[in-house]
Amino acid sequence: MKQAIELIINGETHDLFVASNVTLVEAIRDNVGLLGTKVGCDMGTCGACTVLLEGKPILSCITLAVECNGKEITTIEGVSDGVTLSNLQEAFVRKGGVQCGFCTPGMILSGTALLKKNSKPKVDEVAKALEGNLCRCTGYNRIIDAVLDASVSTSHLQDQGEK
Amino acid sequence: MGELKLVGKSLLRIDGPDKTTGKAKYTADRKLPGMLVGGILRSPHPHAKILNINTEKAEKLLGVKAIISGSDTRGVKHGFVETPRYPPDQNILADDVVRHVGEEIVAVAATNYKVLNDALNLIEVTYEVLPAVFDVAEAMHPDCKVQIHPNHPKVKDDFCNIAGKTETQWGDIEEGFKQADLICVDRFESHLRTHGYLEPQTAIADYGGDGTLHMWISSMGHFVKRKKLASTLGMPEGSIQIHKAYVGGAFGGKIDLFSHEYCAAALSIKTGRPVKFVATREEIFTAYRHGQPLISEIKTGVKKDGTIVAQQLRMINNAGAYKGSGVVVIFLAWGFVMLPYRVKNFKYEGYSIFTNNPPRAPLRGHGAPQVRFALESHMDIIAEKLKMDPIALRLKNARIPGEELPNGDNVHNCGLQACIQKAVSKTDFSKRRHCFPNTEKISAHRPIKHGIGLGVSSYFGGSLIYPNSSSAIVKMNDDGSVDLLTGAIELGQGSETVLCQIVGEELQLELEDIRIISSDTATTPQDIGAWISGMTYVTGNAVREAAGGVREKILQVAAEQLNERVENLKLENKSVLVAADPAQRISYRDVFNASIANSRGDTIIGKGHWRTMRDEPFHPSLATTKGRWSENYAFSVQVAEVAVDTETGEIKLLKATTVHDCGFPINPQLVKGQIDGQVSLALGHAFMEDVMMKNGYTLNPTWLDYRMPLIHNVADSKEVDVITESYQVGRSFRTKEVGEGLVSAILAAIANAIYDATGLRMYTTPFSPEKVLKGLKLLDENKGLR
Repeated sequence: MKQAIELIINGETHDLFVASNVTLVEAIRDNVGLLGTKVGCDMGTCGACTVLLEGKPILSCITLAVECNGKEITTIEGVSDGVTLSNLQEAFVRKGGVQCGFCTPGMILSGTALLKKNSKPKVDEVAKALEGNLCRCTGYNRIIDAVLDASVSTSHLQDQGEK
Repeated sequence: MGELKLVGKSLLRIDGPDKTTGKAKYTADRKLPGMLVGGILRSPHPHAKILNINTEKAEKLLGVKAIISGSDTRGVKHGFVETPRYPPDQNILADDVVRHVGEEIVAVAATNYKVLNDALNLIEVTYEVLPAVFDVAEAMHPDCKVQIHPNHPKVKDDFCNIAGKTETQWGDIEEGFKQADLICVDRFESHLRTHGYLEPQTAIADYGGDGTLHMWISSMGHFVKRKKLASTLGMPEGSIQIHKAYVGGAFGGKIDLFSHEYCAAALSIKTGRPVKFVATREEIFTAYRHGQPLISEIKTGVKKDGTIVAQQLRMINNAGAYKGSGVVVIFLAWGFVMLPYRVKNFKYEGYSIFTNNPPRAPLRGHGAPQVRFALESHMDIIAEKLKMDPIALRLKNARIPGEELPNGDNVHNCGLQACIQKAVSKTDFSKRRHCFPNTEKISAHRPIKHGIGLGVSSYFGGSLIYPNSSSAIVKMNDDGSVDLLTGAIELGQGSETVLCQIVGEELQLELEDIRIISSDTATTPQDIGAWISGMTYVTGNAVREAAGGVREKILQVAAEQLNERVENLKLENKSVLVAADPAQRISYRDVFNASIANSRGDTIIGKGHWRTMRDEPFHPSLATTKGRWSENYAFSVQVAEVAVDTETGEIKLLKATTVHDCGFPINPQLVKGQIDGQVSLALGHAFMEDVMMKNGYTLNPTWLDYRMPLIHNVADSKEVDVITESYQVGRSFRTKEVGEGLVSAILAAIANAIYDATGLRMYTTPFSPEKVLKGLKLLDENKGLR
């Protein structure tokens, strides 16, 4: 059965008419057309599809769209305006937390949610917040660095390089 | 040598902003009007005859647009290797026999996934189930009743199910063993692991009305993909365009032609509509390729002073139901054995054996981790028996610069000796080894033992495999910025950044002034792809040549305009100026216009191409190893520091130190990223990951059950460079491999560190808590007996 729902994605309201078994990530990608949210496993095991629901990170591949009716959702497209990166996005680039990029949107949303409630997280708090996000490329060291760095730094992309 | 501006600097990756903002487009992010979804019906049996396929009910379903089975294909086979000795052996869709669980039988295109899944369920296949064999020892046993394919016609051994064999020798092996003061025999076994790329296998095909088959594929090399699509589809290469998409990781698992890629194309041709295939994670775990389990049997003869005088090896690979890369890994295993150490008398046999498991693919390192785990453990065993320092044993036999390898290759400025020495000094290795079983009691009941271990590895950089060459084009724009056209594919390694750094260095441009157009088979030149460990070297030199062509033209035009000799000019800030009188200058914009006005309309385009070992006709023989393999070899030493919990059997890799000779890094931060990722992969190999199979079925086909490292499983990863080469504008350069060679020595180092901590020698991977506890218990019992 289809249902009319309203999703407030990145501050914009989207009126959708979706079957009750449509997942949130399907609604975001296929109905709304925001393609930054990735699907790595479609079974809630990899974290690539992480978005924020009312500010909390959730797995959009195992969340039904109809459950999110009337709620606020933040996807990777809503983390910054896409031109000026957020501190965390910028730190991911500067610290080498990005390789293939497929886990990156989910990582950044988990990290963004953490930094919002805990502006100075310790390493184990970062790990706890990002434990549901798999990354196969980086070995995680640089991702931890990026989150820690974003919590203290406001430096910009132009400030290139470490060596 | 002038100071370098871009090369050698940790410039930020140019795809970083797109990848952190969700703008980066991967294959599944391509939405086309009217796009159908595709799926594949796969064999539920590891070995069966197909008696009948009935698709009638599925065809009648509303929304099913096309169905194809084996008889609808041209019957052209494909394979990872396609040579006269090893002709292609895989069907796109099964003919009359399926040989592994998950083998592709029927493909369907439908309007949505609901219809697709209903259709796949309605297809009736009648099978006659055949006996199957899974274990490599059973499969190769001369009395094995199951014959999956006929034995390789050129291999005359008594064994069964031989997919391929590599054999080679030099010196006099028997004489060598006679000279030995000590002969040491060991056997090691590596288990089955998988790639774990985050982005699923995905392909989109759109055979529009323009006569071109447009495709987007999550791949590691579009040109080799296109070649195999062309041969199986019966289309000219030029009528297939594979477009650029970012790739969400591959690690070796996306090289082969996969059935779904062909089926997307065939179904799009049949329906006239775009068709998309996305493999489910369960499909990837059960039906796609995994890595290569390998058995290593080693016999080594050494003199009292540590000189290796003879070495004999037999490697056995469980290839799965088709040759896949199994017949390559037995060749590569030879290479990974012979690279680091000098062995005068040598004999090698590698067998690849068919079993009713899914076929295998390369997995980052392609045999090297398995081989180096075996060989470096073996080296430590020998050292102990000789009562010799394991470092001294390695230094005694390690290659030195300029040494010629048994296959005629040269190690050139090999940094191995320096790597060993630096690794030892940086980690204070000799002092800390054996001091370690210093037990640290975390609580009264949980003693943790610490240990340190070391491993050595080497990896080739680029080899001659289709298309054997990379070309590149650099063209100037009116404003003096340039476009780089390259077939190189970005899958996380940072190829686009590195190649732009080279262009920037040659033309003294900032990265912002370089636009890269990459991995599109219609608009970019041929490229070797990101799967033969030679991208920076081969494609990098092609790009350097292309940019160099532009530089020469700029200088020539500027020389005419400034009435000055080329030697007296230099490039700076998008201008050419007279070195001695910088006020005399001409901007690239004016150079561009002057070139069009005065050089018969030349818009300043540079072309470059590079082929490694340009005088060699082919890749070396997979059967005999004869022929040259590579012209640059990277060397590495890795040190592992571990903590073994003797109560739970759990081991932690506390610190990994990677000392490596990559020639020189074009982008140190990207090199470091490669190292960290490989240490993490090795950590998974050592402690966590295990594809558990029973009767050809994968028992743990999800990431909940196949445990890959999480953010909680992080090792401190430190890096030390050994620089042996350099970059000079206008000259060819020799970078060495960093993308997959550094998963290996660390695995061996971990095994040696476990021994250092506990006295427990690991002969098989993974080093699981169960195995460790069992081993420790056995050690205790044996001590009691003594």
